[in-house]
Amino acid sequence: MDSVRVMSLRDDATAALTSRMPARLDPPMAFRDAFAALFDAHFPRLFRFLDRLSGEPELAADLAQEAFVKLYRRGSFPDAPEAWLISVAMNLFRNVKASRSRRRRLLTVSRGARAHSDPPPAPDEGCERAEARRRVRNVLDGMTERERSLLLLRAEGYSYRDIAVSLRLNEASVGVLLARAKEAFRASYEDAFDAP
Amino acid sequence: MHLDETQIQRLLHGELARAGELAAHEHLERCDACRERVSAAEREEAEVFALLGAVDHRVPAIGAQAIAVRARARGNRRLPWAAGIVVTLGIAGVAYAAPGSPLPRLVSALTAWVQPKPELSARPAPPPSAPASTVAGVAVVPGDRLLIVFTSSQVEGAAHVRLTDSAEVVVRAPSGAATFSSDTNRLVIDNRDGVGSFEIRIPRASPRVEILVDGAPRFLVERGVVASDPAVAVDTPYAISLADRRP
Repeated sequence: MDSVRVMSLRDDATAALTSRMPARLDPPMAFRDAFAALFDAHFPRLFRFLDRLSGEPELAADLAQEAFVKLYRRGSFPDAPEAWLISVAMNLFRNVKASRSRRRRLLTVSRGARAHSDPPPAPDEGCERAEARRRVRNVLDGMTERERSLLLLRAEGYSYRDIAVSLRLNEASVGVLLARAKEAFRASYEDAFDAP
Repeated sequence: MHLDETQIQRLLHGELARAGELAAHEHLERCDACRERVSAAEREEAEVFALLGAVDHRVPAIGAQAIAVRARARGNRRLPWAAGIVVTLGIAGVAYAAPGSPLPRLVSALTAWVQPKPELSARPAPPPSAPASTVAGVAVVPGDRLLIVFTSSQVEGAAHVRLTDSAEVVVRAPSGAATFSSDTNRLVIDNRDGVGSFEIRIPRASPRVEILVDGAPRFLVERGVVASDPAVAVDTPYAISLADRRP
């Protein structure tokens, strides 16, 4: 489902009603139908983006669901629903990272620093695939959050407008920044291959 | 003029305006270098995006209905909290207002304890005319007869009585020195363990106002005349000692 279909709901009288509806009431049927369509089309993309961004599928699932819960409780669609969902999910992600960082600092004081490493690969995962996963993960983790988000959002097919809105960028700069992000990814990936 | 990086990226992603897209295609038809750059950019992007798939996990099987249920549950979760707060406030209010409840005195004592203590001075304390924020008191309209009762005598302190032209009997004291209660003909000043002084203003027109300290009559005024001590001029403040006179 593209954004045009969702946006068209705002033109009719029902959408006008939903935009004034308190979030605590159950939204009307028109909103719920459009919400379901948006969810079906967008949830996999949002989950995949967050999964690649964080490297934690459980966290990605939680954040993606939480973003949709917030949209449902809002009771009406924002102007750019996809960009809104990405922004909400990324804010939640940053909150999680910040609270983990605080907790880690406290634990470090009491227990001493611990080395963090990737979880071991699943037993049925081939060595080559596991190695590719580890290498791509390392490259992504080494990129800045903006470059990583830019690359991952475009990989999911988000428009320049959605990317610009959710990452607070100038839409005219998205193309160049995207080219740089892809170049940074390729360079790091090849360096990782060349490394012993 | 060759295509720049922005134009190449936008062309790849279908983000060029219609006119810009037509112009770009026209240029590519006659420019091998730009055609090669676009092909390379397309190839590289496909490679990068394919590599990203290596870190993917299975998309969880969740439906929109589950989100709706979770959203509704979130809304209801706050209701027990709100109800709990309302019930707690209600119980606290009833406990405070109940006759004989120790809560008002506890609150007064706590307030007095929290408030800054006055500096010690060698001079005797003046009658209570402190700022309003540190003064407590009560005002009642006297009927045919009003009894002002100090429940206890004190180690020190006095009640300074003045006759006024107002319509109400006003009793004021430093916060925490006493608690007040009243009914039609009786104003009770519970001054147990108190050490402060009180200021009492009595309307001249009051038919009869009597002051008792620890059960003993100490002052009586009838229609502006101090019956308990006729020598006192009506406009002179009259100090009643609250100290224990019993042997």
